[in-house]
Amino acid sequence: MGHFVSFLLRRLIGLVAVLAGVSVITFFISHVIPADPAAAALGDHAREEQIAAFRREYGLDRPLVEQYLIYINGLLHGDLGKSIRTRRPVIDDLRDFFPATFELSLAALLVSLCIGIPAGVWSALGRNRWPDHVVRVFSLIGGSLPIFWLGLLLIGLLYYRLGWLPGGGRIDQFIPPPRFITGLYVVDSLLSGDTAALKSSLHHLLLPAFTLGYFSTAIIARITRSSLLEVLHQDYIRTAYAKGLRARVVLIRHALRNALIPTLTIVGITFGSLLSGAVLTETIFSWPGLGRYATFSAISLDFPAVMGVTLLAALIYTLANTAVDLLYHLLDPRIRYG
Amino acid sequence: MSNLARRPSLILMALIAIVLAACGPTAAPAPTSAPPTQPPTGAANTLVYAADISDLISLDPAVLYEFSGVLIAHNVYETLVRFEGADLSTLKPGLAERWDIQEVGDTWEITFHLRQGVKFASGNPLTADDVVYSFQRVIALNKSPAFLFTDIAQLKPENIKAADPSTVVITLPKTASPQGFLSILTFTVGGIVDSKEVKAHESGGDYGSGWLLDHSAGSGPYVIDHWTKETEVLLTANPNYGGPKPALAQVLIKHIPEATNQQFALEKGDVDIARNLGPEQIEALKGKSGVTTTTGDSLLLIYVGMNVTVKPLDNVQVREALRTAVDYDGIIQQLLKGNAKKVQTIIPAGLAGHNPDAPFQQDIEKAKALLKEAGQEGGFTLELLVPTGSAPGGVTWADLAAKLQSDWAKIGVTVNIVQTAQAELLNVYRAQKGQLVLILWGPDFPDPDANVGPFTDYEAKSIAWRNAWQDAISKKAREAALMADPAQRNAAYKEITDYVLHNGPYIVLYQPTELFGLRDNVKGFAWNPMGWTDFAAISK
Repeated sequence: MGHFVSFLLRRLIGLVAVLAGVSVITFFISHVIPADPAAAALGDHAREEQIAAFRREYGLDRPLVEQYLIYINGLLHGDLGKSIRTRRPVIDDLRDFFPATFELSLAALLVSLCIGIPAGVWSALGRNRWPDHVVRVFSLIGGSLPIFWLGLLLIGLLYYRLGWLPGGGRIDQFIPPPRFITGLYVVDSLLSGDTAALKSSLHHLLLPAFTLGYFSTAIIARITRSSLLEVLHQDYIRTAYAKGLRARVVLIRHALRNALIPTLTIVGITFGSLLSGAVLTETIFSWPGLGRYATFSAISLDFPAVMGVTLLAALIYTLANTAVDLLYHLLDPRIRYG
Repeated sequence: MSNLARRPSLILMALIAIVLAACGPTAAPAPTSAPPTQPPTGAANTLVYAADISDLISLDPAVLYEFSGVLIAHNVYETLVRFEGADLSTLKPGLAERWDIQEVGDTWEITFHLRQGVKFASGNPLTADDVVYSFQRVIALNKSPAFLFTDIAQLKPENIKAADPSTVVITLPKTASPQGFLSILTFTVGGIVDSKEVKAHESGGDYGSGWLLDHSAGSGPYVIDHWTKETEVLLTANPNYGGPKPALAQVLIKHIPEATNQQFALEKGDVDIARNLGPEQIEALKGKSGVTTTTGDSLLLIYVGMNVTVKPLDNVQVREALRTAVDYDGIIQQLLKGNAKKVQTIIPAGLAGHNPDAPFQQDIEKAKALLKEAGQEGGFTLELLVPTGSAPGGVTWADLAAKLQSDWAKIGVTVNIVQTAQAELLNVYRAQKGQLVLILWGPDFPDPDANVGPFTDYEAKSIAWRNAWQDAISKKAREAALMADPAQRNAAYKEITDYVLHNGPYIVLYQPTELFGLRDNVKGFAWNPMGWTDFAAISK
């Protein structure tokens, strides 16, 4: 238990260090690039005095270090500043857009685990025979197909041609969204027992989740395959077989459990990239998420929003990897919290 | 450890639980953002309008200045005067049944006589006090559109007065254009808000702009039911609207950012109107059953600015040669597939004072002769600054620039294309550091002065300044702006636009057309070039 507490404590300190580092880097990069957010925000028609007033309002006329200190002071008081583009507090924007992206990323992760792990196992067991070839081709496609193209292809087929699934959005336009509890429509409609909303939001989640999750499905299948093959050649597996254990038990209890450790590492990394890489999926599927918000913020040089999104992404990334570290121990008790 | 086959799902659940718990504070409900109240009640009485509404920032007429905001506010708020349909040259009565302009000393005095019996959606009567409050509110808030009042019209809050409950008197200095001011009043910034309702929602001196961000307090045919960001805006019919009842009780403006997806949704019948279709989508819709396509005018001009301090662009013949070498028809027919008007003067078609002369089409021999006269037959090399992304009309800026590059190469002029984000491009352009700059301009208000002023007046520090062009024509432009007689004014603009066409530092390439896809049962759709459509006139 003492190990565990000190592990968490160290992770917490690490988290603060990461956030501090990210804040410095993002802040200075977004402020030294040779482009003027005032000009971007005020557009073509703005006059010099309007631009000057804008620079004053956002403190852009102060020395860079002073601007940073003002930002950090706000941050410590829970104030992420005001977005230049939407003119709202950044925290409100994140609150509006983060849940949709989080829900999409979780669903994509679920898709990639549910397909990727079994596919990897199947591929390893049928090594160099047709199951392996099928999975390898599937992974190759997943690793090389542009998300934008895949998404449009799926919409073209499953929405436009066949009409089986909706073409975008989080919920049917004529069904009220569930009451706001977590902001995740599936979770909220479950919690409030709203079956119509649950059905519709699951329906709307399928295609974008698959599109976003395909790439990581491919990676997870590949990693699971190779690490399972490696484990299957270990002495303790031979010993287990020699003891006369059934193949199924050997595979699941002894081999897969160890083989999943590298997979888990990949999960930690891909979850972060799912969150930050959702922009194309969000655009194709009209998904009101953080990816599009981040992109627009970057284009319009909206540095408070860019800072907010980056810090949130760093936070999620670190938390996801901490969770993965905790899970290592669950899979293999020999791994200490270190 | 019994059944480890279930472990992956357990792991996942644990992961979800941890991350969910960790993100609790972020995902907590926002006390300020109210959940959407009601969804549309049914497809039959709802017009579904697919559009990219990412630009929406506020629905407050004193704050908004974005395309999507303009579209919505025009259907929610009424203005004192208005333009009908695509005609932006003849003012029509709005909330003011009549108005008159008088010269009083060194001021213009404009008196508006309000229509009787108009009510806001709340049921409150619309009076002169609401007009005064609405206009003073624009100036006090001083947001994006406020410069139209304060700078262009030189309007002061104390010069907006209610003479009696149905008469408003506005005084402008003689240096402001009364016609220009009336044109500004047709725009969303001139929308009249319900002062009682807005005052009831004021918070911390914000003139109710926090509340009007996603609520409405107008007298137009629709009211705002809700706005879910990056998802939809729902309008419902205003029960107290004095005009003809809208044919459709609800308008759902549905956010679909991807053009192909808008096309799919239109063909499937999930949307009635698709706003952001490109030439490819229009091509794909041709011949399909259940859908039609239509076009609308815009007031944008796509042009190349030539910095006259950069040699040899200081030579008027060199500028004329560059204009003469461009294949305008090729740009419009091939690159834009016909989605543009051939406009070469600085006032777009649709505005008063538009000059339809378009004398230029590629003539290599003539262009070379002009260069020879200018002593530049050996050619020269210049930099062409180009934005990233798509230009209006359905072509990328890069393709448009490449076309210009190849046209000019034919007369021995080498152009190096430098592509940069529009915000950065404007920085360079504004600092008079561009050489050739490919960019667009749209008027801030539907009046010729909104183009002629920036394009001619060096002192205005706008387009003429960016190209370092100082010319005596700006004096005539200032005079024209102030003329109260429309016929006299148009004649003045003809002279000015003719002059700029051959002497100015601009190559106006085209005026883009807007493309729309409609379900074939949609009737009454007409696009206003200021960027909106009257939803109340649409039926299906």
